[in-house]
Amino acid sequence: MSDKKKFETRYEELGWEYKDVKPRQAIRINSINAKEVVVTKRLRSLGIELEKIPFLKNGYSIRKSKFSVGATSEYLLGLYSIQEAAAQIPATLFTEPKDNVVLDACAAPGGKTVQLADLMQNTGAIIALDIEKRKLTALSNHLERCHVRNTIVYQIDARQASRLKVKFDRILLDVSYSGNFVTDKDWFKKRTIKDVKRNARLQREILTEAAKVLKDDGEIVYATCSLEPEENELNIDWTIKNLKLQVEKISCYGEKALTSVFGKKLDSSIEHCRRIWPGQTQGFFVCKLKKRGCAQ
Amino acid sequence: MNQIKDFVSRFQTRISLDKNLILKRRDTYFLLNDSLKRLISKDIFYAGTYLGKAKRGKFFPSFNLLRMIAGKKANKVIVDKKTEWLFICGRDIFKQGITEVMGSKKKGDYTLILNQHGECLGFGKILCNLDKVKDGVVIENISDIGDFLRREKQHG
Repeated sequence: MSDKKKFETRYEELGWEYKDVKPRQAIRINSINAKEVVVTKRLRSLGIELEKIPFLKNGYSIRKSKFSVGATSEYLLGLYSIQEAAAQIPATLFTEPKDNVVLDACAAPGGKTVQLADLMQNTGAIIALDIEKRKLTALSNHLERCHVRNTIVYQIDARQASRLKVKFDRILLDVSYSGNFVTDKDWFKKRTIKDVKRNARLQREILTEAAKVLKDDGEIVYATCSLEPEENELNIDWTIKNLKLQVEKISCYGEKALTSVFGKKLDSSIEHCRRIWPGQTQGFFVCKLKKRGCAQ
Repeated sequence: MNQIKDFVSRFQTRISLDKNLILKRRDTYFLLNDSLKRLISKDIFYAGTYLGKAKRGKFFPSFNLLRMIAGKKANKVIVDKKTEWLFICGRDIFKQGITEVMGSKKKGDYTLILNQHGECLGFGKILCNLDKVKDGVVIENISDIGDFLRREKQHG
């Protein structure tokens, strides 16, 4: 059986029939730099056809454009960012992040860091980590372009965040993941179940470190753009059982996550996580965690 | 710090920066705020507001710093839409593309380049006295925000 067929069979077992999808490109207006109505008017005057994404506050999909939306003055001036629609969800799930100390543990290339700064209106502080210098350069350029002023970037592995000796109010874990076929046309040729399991182990190490540096009343948002349950529901089930964290209810686009995976019954609270099968957006998984006993 | 002051003065203006909040990492300058200053430890890659970089005695400003200068009374020219795009693509500025001049018109001075919305696109050097010439290239492009795209291409 080919690797593609193996994955398709897995998705069927999880209740989704594989189909090839091509979601539209999406942008997010940086509200600290310009009013939404002003930016959309300027883009429409350039001939870019936009459609508001109903489940996002500042998100628009590109219906039609004769040129790249990454090559306009408005983009270069930081008035908007190009950010996939589902990827715009995680940062919005934090309870009021203004004035908080926030960890963005796997930050590059910085789309969500800039979004966090926007939601925080450049208040408080974001500590952004990543390991590859090339990616950190891209992150730094992104911060400069979008006028972000509240972020410190370190070249540190997320698994060593406690080296900073800081406790965080909010932690975004947009962890390294296996990805999905929507954003990478060669995905099925490149990925194996072994890769998925290796990534899942890495993600558990990152979750463990995040639990150590989270304040007692803090929040973690965990997200992947993977469809594989090892990186999603199974990791969160492991987290509940091993890290004294619990899943919080969230309200956002997506289906209830799976509570039964390949015959294994998971903690019932995992249904509060959200799983997004590819369609209007790429595949995605997101959830919010708090320390047990500190839930709202 | 002096390099920043000297650079800003070339636009015939001044900006006040709290030196206690300025961080120099190797040849790069950042402006912090109190929250960041409390949290920062050594070995940062980037912090707060990037101000620019000094290399071999020359100062290369960030677009953040240029925006700060643009918020003051300083040398500025406003350009039309077509010129805006050509400037972002790295071109010099023709006299015909300028719709308004503020501050110096003198050859050799630095001036900020703004679009019709008053947003700073970069800066250049005035090549000939702006009130004397009627056409031709009058401002040399030194730095423009198209650099973000060029950096993306360079770093992937």
